[in-house]
Amino acid sequence: MSTLSIFVMVIVLTVVWGGFGLSLFIAIHKENHKS
Amino acid sequence: MQEQFTSRWGLILSVVGIAVGTGNIWRFPRIAAANGGGSFLIPWVLFLFLWSIPLIMTEFAMGKMTRYGTVGSFAVLVGEKFAWMGTFVGFVATAIMFYYSVVAGWCIRYFFLAGTGQLLNSADHEGTWNGFVDSGWQPVLFHCVAITAGALIVRRGVVRGIERANRFLIPTLLGLLVLCCLRAITLPGAGKGLAYLFTPDLSTLLDYKVWLQALTQNAWDTGAGWGLILTYAVYMRKQEDVGLNAALIGLGNNSVSLLAAITIFSTVFALIPEQAAEVISSSGPANTGLTFIWIPQLFSTMPGGALFSAFFFLALSFAALSSLISMIELSTRVLMDMNFSRQSALLSVYLTSLVLGIPSALSMDFFLNQDWTWGIALMVSGAFMAIAVLRYGVHRFRTEQINGPGSDFRVGRWYEFLIRYGIPTQVIVLIAWWFTQVIRADPSHWWNPFAAESVGTCLFQWALAIVIFMAANRMIVRRTLKR
Repeated sequence: MSTLSIFVMVIVLTVVWGGFGLSLFIAIHKENHKS
Repeated sequence: MQEQFTSRWGLILSVVGIAVGTGNIWRFPRIAAANGGGSFLIPWVLFLFLWSIPLIMTEFAMGKMTRYGTVGSFAVLVGEKFAWMGTFVGFVATAIMFYYSVVAGWCIRYFFLAGTGQLLNSADHEGTWNGFVDSGWQPVLFHCVAITAGALIVRRGVVRGIERANRFLIPTLLGLLVLCCLRAITLPGAGKGLAYLFTPDLSTLLDYKVWLQALTQNAWDTGAGWGLILTYAVYMRKQEDVGLNAALIGLGNNSVSLLAAITIFSTVFALIPEQAAEVISSSGPANTGLTFIWIPQLFSTMPGGALFSAFFFLALSFAALSSLISMIELSTRVLMDMNFSRQSALLSVYLTSLVLGIPSALSMDFFLNQDWTWGIALMVSGAFMAIAVLRYGVHRFRTEQINGPGSDFRVGRWYEFLIRYGIPTQVIVLIAWWFTQVIRADPSHWWNPFAAESVGTCLFQWALAIVIFMAANRMIVRRTLKR
């Protein structure tokens, strides 16, 4: 894999999977706080 | 007393069940391959934020605010005279349900074929597929199995039916997909598939068609603008968040699409590196080429293929079923708002779907016509959602409904900009592009209302539906708002 491919892979996976993970983390935190 | 999801996680798993469907597993990898792999991923991620997430927020807030299905929501938000727009949104999802049940039936049939070992024992996978769809009775039988399974789940209600089913279906689906992905990326040569998926071609990135395909993929596979999320939002708790949940669902849906694409690209490039790009982009009737012909062929050549194929088709069946039950619930909710009991509303929806799904099960041309007509109508549904918010007052909607009680995440003014300008522009550009493509491809028959995929058939069927709903508007609204 070229450096550009690795760069795109890191960006896409960070935004999509990382964004999902971060949203989930915040949601769990907020939910625990509410209860 | 209206039922409510028991927790935030019950709601999220159920809405993820709407968003994650067969489109994530069989359409996304094909479209990504046909549009330059890495070049496609960049606009695809962008449109998640420009189309899907704002519309998911809109649907959540509409359902939570009005506590009505699509018809009642539009009557409350836009005014009784415009409730026909909500009837249209509900009807589009219902028309899709009629043939989606057939698709779910195909997946279930292939799971049984894979599970009993018959699928991989066959030497002619194209013959197996053609034999199945041309047999007539088999697609009808499996359509009946799918719609019956969905109706039995919805019959038990929101908590004991929909929520409980999704608490099982979605984690299992994700587990199966992760297992398939791990198996795929450990195949020798899988790295070439990953390189193809993530390598951008800057010339392709400047092609407007890649951007339009990326928008179309987001519009079709996240469930945004269908009215399904609005329906589940009717059962949200009062203090439930909107903004963060919408982001979670949009990102979760696209995460599953990426997982599916990594699995498919790794498998195909590892097993047939020379033909890989051509095979992944091959469509076949109703996009079936890759899933029902090539995938079984590939599984038969790999170690552990029998187990892998059973897992793959089980995941596909679960994805289809979790989306199908939300479509059944949408139609049932609209009738319940008109003072039908859940059981009698569901019985009407079930029997109608059972009968009206049969033409799509018997004829691929009819199936393609319905997929084309109502697939593009989803853009119109998205535009109607934006119009509803504009008429209510987009600033008021954002501050009172989206950032209302229970909100975990403050949605900024960017939402207002996207609803005012972003969504309408995207709808106009997309519909104009799809229609122009058809007119260019078939200049002499594009107007024919009886052709499978023409501009004429779309306009004719949409106009027919809208005229009927406008004529019956007063009667439908009176019955709905009586509740």
